[in-house]
Amino acid sequence: MHFDFSDDELAFRKELKEFLDGELPVYFEFFDLPPEERAERSMAFVQLLSERGWLTPAWPVEYGGSAQAPWQQMILAEEMVAHGEPRTGQYMNVNWIGPAIILAGTPEQKAYHLTRISKGDVLWCQGFSEPDAGSDLAALRTTAVRDGDEYVINGEKIWTSNAGIAEFCFLLARTNAEGRKQDGISIFLVPVATPGIEVGDIESVLHPGAFHHVLFTDVRVPASCRLGPENEGFSIVRTLLANERTGVARYHRAAGYLDRIATWCAERDLLDDSAVIETLASARAACEAARLLVYQVYDEKTRGLDPDVSAWAYRTAAVRAERVVNEAAFTLMGAEGLARHSFADSQFEWAVTAGVAGGSYEMQLNSLARVLLGSKG
Amino acid sequence: MEMTLSPTQQAVLDACTTALGRAAGPARARELRSAGGADDRLLTLLGEAGYLDVALDEESGPLTAVLITELAARHLALAPVGARSLVAPAVIAAEQLPEFVTIMDLAFGGPVRYAAQSEALIVLDGHDARLFTAAEYTTTAVETLFGYPLARVELQGGGVDLGAGSGDVARRWWRVAIAAEIAGTARAALDLTIDHMQGRVQFGKPLSALQALQHRVIETHVLIEGAMWMAREAAYHGAPAESSSSAAVAAVEAAGRTLFEVHQLSGSIGFTDEYDLTLSSLRLQTLRTEAGGMAAHSRALVAGRWGA
Repeated sequence: MHFDFSDDELAFRKELKEFLDGELPVYFEFFDLPPEERAERSMAFVQLLSERGWLTPAWPVEYGGSAQAPWQQMILAEEMVAHGEPRTGQYMNVNWIGPAIILAGTPEQKAYHLTRISKGDVLWCQGFSEPDAGSDLAALRTTAVRDGDEYVINGEKIWTSNAGIAEFCFLLARTNAEGRKQDGISIFLVPVATPGIEVGDIESVLHPGAFHHVLFTDVRVPASCRLGPENEGFSIVRTLLANERTGVARYHRAAGYLDRIATWCAERDLLDDSAVIETLASARAACEAARLLVYQVYDEKTRGLDPDVSAWAYRTAAVRAERVVNEAAFTLMGAEGLARHSFADSQFEWAVTAGVAGGSYEMQLNSLARVLLGSKG
Repeated sequence: MEMTLSPTQQAVLDACTTALGRAAGPARARELRSAGGADDRLLTLLGEAGYLDVALDEESGPLTAVLITELAARHLALAPVGARSLVAPAVIAAEQLPEFVTIMDLAFGGPVRYAAQSEALIVLDGHDARLFTAAEYTTTAVETLFGYPLARVELQGGGVDLGAGSGDVARRWWRVAIAAEIAGTARAALDLTIDHMQGRVQFGKPLSALQALQHRVIETHVLIEGAMWMAREAAYHGAPAESSSSAAVAAVEAAGRTLFEVHQLSGSIGFTDEYDLTLSSLRLQTLRTEAGGMAAHSRALVAGRWGA
């Protein structure tokens, strides 16, 4: 056991940070941009990352990566989110859609999709949640019925981020209504421009373009769009969701916000107030706890283990960190934090969605409980 | 970065676990609670086996010492393992290390853990520290519910100056030791609570199957895990001001949550002398207050992080 980064890892972080500091304004938030502008700027930026080998460093060389250790992926996640997450939705491509295709794709799917993802010239959305299938994802009802060399897809997805700007949808649909509900689900890699797909905005208090609903009406896709064996999509997704739970280094971003809150307090000579001190300290400690728990996830990945349990624990700690930093922001800044796009306001959006996006907080607790308490919960 | 134990660390901890399994544990803690005092027999055993000096060993270092401190707490050791294995070696020359040593800070009042049982006392006075032998201070025992022998201290002599800045150094390691002790003690309390929940059937199912209770256990578990890893990392890096105080803040928060959750989830049996829960749970209250508690750890963290 030791807690040192290697010289290569330290050099990677330094080089990456210098590049990002040079390319991006301080405190820039990509998610504050309107969707089209966000997509355009993000696409341009990730292509710069791709040219430097920093978009898919953990991928195998044959798929456009550089087979770097998981720790490089962690450093990338921390530095990206500290700079406003310029990859926007592309972190999803890199962290788990691409790896799903590496795991289960045909040679043709790999050649086409992995090349494009690793070059950073494509945006994806994730067609998981439905009106009646949220945390209980396996209850999804969207159907894909085989018809010769095609599937015909009908159904509705909801809360889909990036659907308005995505070129492809990583879609889960039911291909068998018999037996266990988890066993009848398949994955489809569907072009969003396919006839019969209708994308609508859902207005919300979150950043522009945060939510969409996506309707599928007699959408015909070739059978070659299916990823992996029919009816085995759920197990593929489960395998890769640990990547999604750790894909955004929320603790690192929240810690950066906390530094800004502390600076705000220092400028007003508040740092000798005991209430201010304890609020800041508690929030900082929460971010640090989450950081060390995600290190455990990356350590297990490095050793080739399945990091499910540690990823659930990390996610629990990360949600807490987001919320405690939000509490610090509004406790300490008071009404100043109410102004739109103030950093307290931005922190609120991250904090209030932390326990919902990427699978509900309670599902993480349930999953950990099954392991620690030995119950099905 | 490597979060698993090296073969050497694993071997040391396995052997230490065996020793603690024989010499510490609930029965011994119960015996000491009845008799009063601390477990000097255990401390001697650990000292003779070399476990208290691992921080000075180049290969093992303070990280192994913090693992042993955590392990001893988990086994309900009633001895100042953290003070002796982490704090004392940082400020006292190896050849002069007393076996039984504890710590107090003049900045804070209140009774001191193990003061009446120790052969020496590290006294923190601002940036500096002095070492007092037992002949140089008197103690008055304080009756307490909270799991450790406590006494008020009156210094008589002048002690030995431990050098400029030794108080700051000792204080940082003290925070690491407290965090490790809390992590081990809280883990013992939560493990016992989980055992109880798995066996206690209400409404036709074990408490451990009730989701509302499961969530509270898991949130507590994650707080303890976070504090545990923070203590380990802080020890590995030599107890920097920021990370040692950050570990202590996380640990004190975990201790507070654990103390009340384990008692709530254990019900009335948890308060009884016949049950083992209070052997660990009540100690958390003492550990939460040590070294100035949350207020002092928070000040140190804010100073270390933001220079206030």
